[in-house]
Amino acid sequence: MRKLQCSRIAKACAIVLLLACSYAAGLFGLYALQYTDSVFSDNWKNTGAVWKALQERIFEIEEGVNIYVNLLERKQLEKTGGGGIGNQEDMAYLQERLDDMQERFSRENTWFRFRLTNDDGTRLLDTNLVEGESFLRLVKGAHTKTFTAGTAELWGGAATDNPENPGEQSYGFVLQYGLPDEVSEEVPDEFYAAFVNYDIGKHEFDVCLTGFLNLGAVAFLAMLYLLWACGHKPGDEDIVLTWQEKIFLDFYLFGMFWAAFFLCACVVFLGESIVRNYNPELTDFLQVGLGVSCAALAGVITLSLRTTIVRIKAKALIRTTLLCRVVRWTVRTVQRTVYEYVRNLPFIWRVLAAFGVYILFTFFVLETWEGITAFLWLLVNVVVFLWLGWWAIGLHRLREGTRAITSGDLDHKIDTKYMPLDLRVHAEDLNNISVGMHSAVEEQMKSERFKAELITNVSHDLKTPLTSIINYVNLLKTTEQTDPKAVEYIEVLDRKSLRLKKLTEDLVEASKASTGVLSVNREKIGMCQLLDQALGEYGEKLEARQLSVIRTIPEEEVYVYADGRHLWRVIDNLLANCAKYAMEGTRVYVEVSRGQGRGTFQVKNISKEPLNVPAEQLMERFVRGDSSRSTEGSGLGLSIARSLTELQAGIFELAVDGDLFKAEVTLPQYGG
Amino acid sequence: MYTILVCDDDPDIVSALEIYLGSEGYKTVAAYNGKEALRIAAEQEIHLILMDIMMPELDGMRATSKLREGSNVPIILLTAKSEDSDKILGLNIGADDYITKPFNPLEVIARVKSQLRRYTSLGGAGGAAGGGSVLSAGPISMDDGAKVVTVDGEPVSLTPLEYNILKLLLSNPGQVFSSAQIYEHVWNDPVYGSENTVAVHIRHLREKIEINPAEPRYLKVVWGLGYKIEKGAV
Repeated sequence: MRKLQCSRIAKACAIVLLLACSYAAGLFGLYALQYTDSVFSDNWKNTGAVWKALQERIFEIEEGVNIYVNLLERKQLEKTGGGGIGNQEDMAYLQERLDDMQERFSRENTWFRFRLTNDDGTRLLDTNLVEGESFLRLVKGAHTKTFTAGTAELWGGAATDNPENPGEQSYGFVLQYGLPDEVSEEVPDEFYAAFVNYDIGKHEFDVCLTGFLNLGAVAFLAMLYLLWACGHKPGDEDIVLTWQEKIFLDFYLFGMFWAAFFLCACVVFLGESIVRNYNPELTDFLQVGLGVSCAALAGVITLSLRTTIVRIKAKALIRTTLLCRVVRWTVRTVQRTVYEYVRNLPFIWRVLAAFGVYILFTFFVLETWEGITAFLWLLVNVVVFLWLGWWAIGLHRLREGTRAITSGDLDHKIDTKYMPLDLRVHAEDLNNISVGMHSAVEEQMKSERFKAELITNVSHDLKTPLTSIINYVNLLKTTEQTDPKAVEYIEVLDRKSLRLKKLTEDLVEASKASTGVLSVNREKIGMCQLLDQALGEYGEKLEARQLSVIRTIPEEEVYVYADGRHLWRVIDNLLANCAKYAMEGTRVYVEVSRGQGRGTFQVKNISKEPLNVPAEQLMERFVRGDSSRSTEGSGLGLSIARSLTELQAGIFELAVDGDLFKAEVTLPQYGG
Repeated sequence: MYTILVCDDDPDIVSALEIYLGSEGYKTVAAYNGKEALRIAAEQEIHLILMDIMMPELDGMRATSKLREGSNVPIILLTAKSEDSDKILGLNIGADDYITKPFNPLEVIARVKSQLRRYTSLGGAGGAAGGGSVLSAGPISMDDGAKVVTVDGEPVSLTPLEYNILKLLLSNPGQVFSSAQIYEHVWNDPVYGSENTVAVHIRHLREKIEINPAEPRYLKVVWGLGYKIEKGAV
């Protein structure tokens, strides 16, 4: 099916078939039309062609009588001597015409038979019947026609009233005329031609009609195929538009209409010329012309339908009309101008203008408070109400969207569909901001994760050589050293290698904690219990530095919602900090408290070294209270503590007041 | 005389371990990748394997799973990978213990001893002792009649308080006891604010029965909740 629709060969065949068939069908049609005359008459003498020829003959006789009258008048004038110059020539000319006519009407030249008498039949004017021949016998029926010509005086007889011009006396004639039943080729006049045609027509009509109908049907089918297949091309799924579809449809159809009109005129003219047979030598030429015209007409009709159907198939019928273009352009231009103007007006002015129009309208209505204006007022207020509602809905949506974005949902997109223009612009700006922010955050997350991965990998690579260092330092320690300095050096190596070990471990942990790749299992955790356990672990270390711990805990256990292991690391780091940096012989205050749905753990101690860095900075990685960095510790402890606290949705705060160092961990209470 | 296969792609680490193990009287065999380890394990009688994870040719994880197909020799993984997920994977795949680098050589020795004792002398573990008065969890067993506590067969001396704490935890394996509960049970006194004595005692106890007290395997600290003996400890 699709193949057939696309086949170029089939299309070419169809075109040839269409043109050829319409060519032939035109000719067949013409002859069939001509032969209907014969078919619908019982006798050749009753055909239209014969009737027409008879009418022409009658007209000629009437004209001949008039010429005769004219000649008589001139002869009378000549007798009275009033003819004037040129009368003789005119008479000769008229006489010549009469003679011609006599010749044409002679039995040798025509089968037309006539008898012209005056209206009472007393006087025979002219006839081409031979002696003893009568209409009844020979011609078998005659027609009669009466007419008037000249005056009674002129003819010297009784006058009859001129029916066309009452009061004027004219002379009446009766013309009897007819045709013999049998005509032969001895006298080849128009009647003989009609006789022959009648015979031909009787025989040929069926053939012509059949030919016309069949060929017409074939041409029609070819056209239908072309219309069905138009717009399809091999290797192209879509409808293909040709150059013809580039012409505006209305232009095209207008041109095609006039072409078709012209061709129709040609067909009619040529057909008539052939039927009339004015010029027998040209008949062949005229037939070709008629056929070509018919073919061209079929072509024009097919082309018009084709382009229309292709456009319909491509859903471009209306679009490709000039009218549509003009209308659309006009509408768009007007719309754009108005829209641009309104759009470019500052928002405030627009609001003021709208309100001003509304106020003016209200005044107008109040001035002429009648039925129709009151109704109008109501209508306008309904519109204003709907419009305000539209705005309110848009504003509401905008606010919801903004809230969603500010609460961290950077993926949120405000739906700008059906929003008032000003709000839409605003919403789109917000959407763009969120897109920008989203990508920035994404980028940052990616680089953080990459960093964490890098640190993990690097620390893996550091650990292997470090293992060897620690092991061999240990082995060195077991060897016998005679030099006391060597023992001291080994001691340093041992300490530093262990410190390095701690550093790499902390580094991995810090990067993991800050990027949030650690898993968090939050559950019910007793803070006092945890503090006890932690002090149990640290008790001796703190005692070793002569730090006394002052503990303040509430009567009841404070349960928080946290991950025990991570929270332990936080407290571990804080106590380790105390053990490292608190001044010997001072007191360390630890406190657990609750309030506002939260549990808080607090550590306060006096720093050994002056704290010359702000609290915020202490939480940064690799920052330590002592700028000399001579003490053990990686400088990561507080950073890890903060990251871990935040992982558990807690708050980690540091405060530095002179030498007083204060750390506070706040966590959401369990079930609170 | 036990033979220990040491497998690591770093020859320095291998030789250091050989020195430590040799000084303890073990015979050592070195391998530098997983394939070599598999070959040696097939050729000789090996009593314990120390295996690195990240090695060329065949890594420690694969080698372990290969070995486990036909042998139940103790395998201790020795690796720089310190993530929890790596430890879990390693133990699930068939390793008996897991030590992260950089390691303390003495800890390695202690763990090797522990694994060897369990693999050779104890065999079927605690079942041997029998009787109702023996409490055990993993390598720890407590004969309440004789008041003797052994870890991997080695006797451990405990103070009466430590002994009572351990007894409480051992008789309820897997159950978490808070400091206050332990205090009430062991001291038989109501708590009056000095629970951290329990924490200190537990730490001492841990130091006595655990190889690495900072990473206890049997007497576990459940932070913020209390303490417990791991049920069915490794």
